Amino acid sequence: MNSLTPELFRASLGQVGSTVLLIAMLAVVMEIALYLLLVRVLKHKYALPIMLLAPAAIGLMLLVVAPILYELRLAFSDMNLYRFKNPNYGIGVGLSNFARIFTEPVLKQVGFFPIFFRTMLWTGIQVVSHVTIGLFLAILLNRPMKLRGLYRTILIIPWAMPQVVAVLAWRGEFSFEYGFLNIMLKNIGLAGVAWKTHPFWNYVAMNLTNIWLGVPFMMVILLGGLQSIPSTYYEAAEIDGANWWGQFRNVTIPMIKPVMTPAIVLGVIWTFNNFNVPYFINQYELETSDILVTALFRAAFEYNRYGFAAAFAFVIFFILLLFSVWYVKVAKIDIGFGQGEQKKKKLPKIAKTAVAATEGRR
Amino acid sequence: MKRILSVLTGVFILLLISSVLFVSCEKKPKEAGPVTFALWTQESESEGGFQYIEALAESYMAAHANVTIDVLQKGTEDLREDFQTASLAGDSPELLWTVSDHAGPFTTADLILPVDDYFDMSKYVESVVANGKTWAVPITAGNHLMLLYNKDLVSKAPVTTDELIAMAKEHTSGDMYGLVYNQTEPFWLAPWLGGFGGKVFAADGVTPTLDTAAMVGTLQFLHDLKFVHKIMPNEADYGMADTLFKEGKAAFLINGDWSLTDYKGVLGDKLGITAIPKVSSTGKWSAPYTSGKYFMISNSVEGEKLDVVVDFIKFATNTENQVELVEKLVRLPGLTSVLNDPIVTGDPVFKDSGAALAKGTPMPTVLEMRANWDAMKPELIAVMSGTKTPEEAAKAMQAAAEAGIAAMK
Repeated sequence: MNSLTPELFRASLGQVGSTVLLIAMLAVVMEIALYLLLVRVLKHKYALPIMLLAPAAIGLMLLVVAPILYELRLAFSDMNLYRFKNPNYGIGVGLSNFARIFTEPVLKQVGFFPIFFRTMLWTGIQVVSHVTIGLFLAILLNRPMKLRGLYRTILIIPWAMPQVVAVLAWRGEFSFEYGFLNIMLKNIGLAGVAWKTHPFWNYVAMNLTNIWLGVPFMMVILLGGLQSIPSTYYEAAEIDGANWWGQFRNVTIPMIKPVMTPAIVLGVIWTFNNFNVPYFINQYELETSDILVTALFRAAFEYNRYGFAAAFAFVIFFILLLFSVWYVKVAKIDIGFGQGEQKKKKLPKIAKTAVAATEGRR
Repeated sequence: MKRILSVLTGVFILLLISSVLFVSCEKKPKEAGPVTFALWTQESESEGGFQYIEALAESYMAAHANVTIDVLQKGTEDLREDFQTASLAGDSPELLWTVSDHAGPFTTADLILPVDDYFDMSKYVESVVANGKTWAVPITAGNHLMLLYNKDLVSKAPVTTDELIAMAKEHTSGDMYGLVYNQTEPFWLAPWLGGFGGKVFAADGVTPTLDTAAMVGTLQFLHDLKFVHKIMPNEADYGMADTLFKEGKAAFLINGDWSLTDYKGVLGDKLGITAIPKVSSTGKWSAPYTSGKYFMISNSVEGEKLDVVVDFIKFATNTENQVELVEKLVRLPGLTSVLNDPIVTGDPVFKDSGAALAKGTPMPTVLEMRANWDAMKPELIAVMSGTKTPEEAAKAMQAAAEAGIAAMK
């Protein structure tokens, strides 16, 4: 392998730099054109905002909208290796692609619905674990204690690590012979577990890895939420005779709900679409460990079913779209921008007392 | 707004000046060569293959100041997938150094050039032929699996599977294993299938024949090596098998000719090479797949660039470089004249490797083989993890292969 010589560095910089400069120059040319058109010719009221937004809007069009339109076109084609350069396009072809997703094996033997339910189970296990463990750790770290900063730093490390690096490191640890999990099991007299080849244990392995990766995010978010709850709420609850559980149920949970709800929804979307963990932990391509996005990737790039895979991608997109629409409704209720009165009505009695206490009504 | 315009103009002029500097910076290597082409290879660094190709490219560039070759290493399957994707995007590499079975998908998708018009194929060993055309130029011959052993542990090579199991049992205790190999890839299953009298395709070369008594026998045999004879680790992929053998923790290893350089470096004269044994119950020799490594040219290459690419292939497979390949990579060459040279015929390693090669069978290169590989892999793993019986696995393999072929069409 070539070492990083000054020549190589210069050549790489030249390749990357010239592309970046070209984009920058095009942006400046576009801005000048917009200036002349909007300011000089049209004297438009919103000339400056349009000029500021234009580069990002065009970038998004090129990087997001154009690929989606291409994907849509592909979904209505029968492109595969046999029809790689001259695929057939048509409504009928597209409908057939969508029908095949639900009626035929998506990969080798397993159909859409088993993979979908496995994905739901995966998402459920992950989000419940992230929230439960994250909240537990956040509550622990929200108390006055020695070395709190150090504990927080250590607990955030998994989140700070690049995900692929962390997942590949975990994969190494799932080695039957040399992985630390099996070494520990063997040291306490238990048999090693076939983490990579046994369907059930491979599914457990990917869940363990993602719990380790995902808890810090939830912990940080919830810790932020906990720190924003004024201590007077707890004092008021105590005066009302609430024990620890009462305070947790009636003050902590309602007060961190506005923070927790979007974090959970984001967690659901990220986990549902998590590619790195299920793909890399499933080193031997066990169909029993595939979730929808990894199955989609394999359909496209291992089986070269490009038209089918594009249709499959839209199915996943619509599942997440439905979830997001539902989320928007839920978020409106829970976060309640501009709906303070409505929100207050929903608070339990102790929390309402606490709110009243801080507002000086008692 | 006037200020904005003057600032924008100033930025534009600044960018223009910088771009001239950057472009001049980038152009430097191009000034040395108007022809630049990319060569993708799946040869790894650990076995020295990648370094050999880089040296070959450097040597060609030194002799041809106008040519720049960008050599890029990729995993075998990554190379296939990325080449297809890059071809779809119209930005494929010009030249590939890869395995024969990639020719199946590449010819089906019309991504590579037939090479008959550019090379005298009679000078080379058997190449990839489909639809009456040759699609690749052989670089090495073989790529076959063999039984390797550590002479410090084993004095005599086994001839039958019964002998192998008996000898392996003697060397299995604690963290020491009698036999190791990549249990997760069906490429390592193929020799045994041959030994049990099976083939993955019917006579037409495209209809899968995986649910057969031979496949069940093969899977049962592999299952028994692990669970009955207990001569193998519970789980072993390529890396683990390789490490155990190098560390002297395994008496026997099944691996390919590409790994010989590495093991010769570690074990020296203590490295024993022999054919994978005869299956005792059938009396048939195990038949590893044989292929080799090949140059394949993207069909997007034309004109002067094609001339340069063809010239580079001729350079890489000339007698001098093939001899060097034999010496450095310890592999059988693709050029017939060098294959029959005393440097090969007189070398004991090649004698043993050649004997193992003689037991082999050509690896199918049709696209349908992709579905077969994908169908066999999870079922093999299921049998080796004890979650399916050989009968169930063979049946599932057949169904998956048929579904895979249907889905690809």
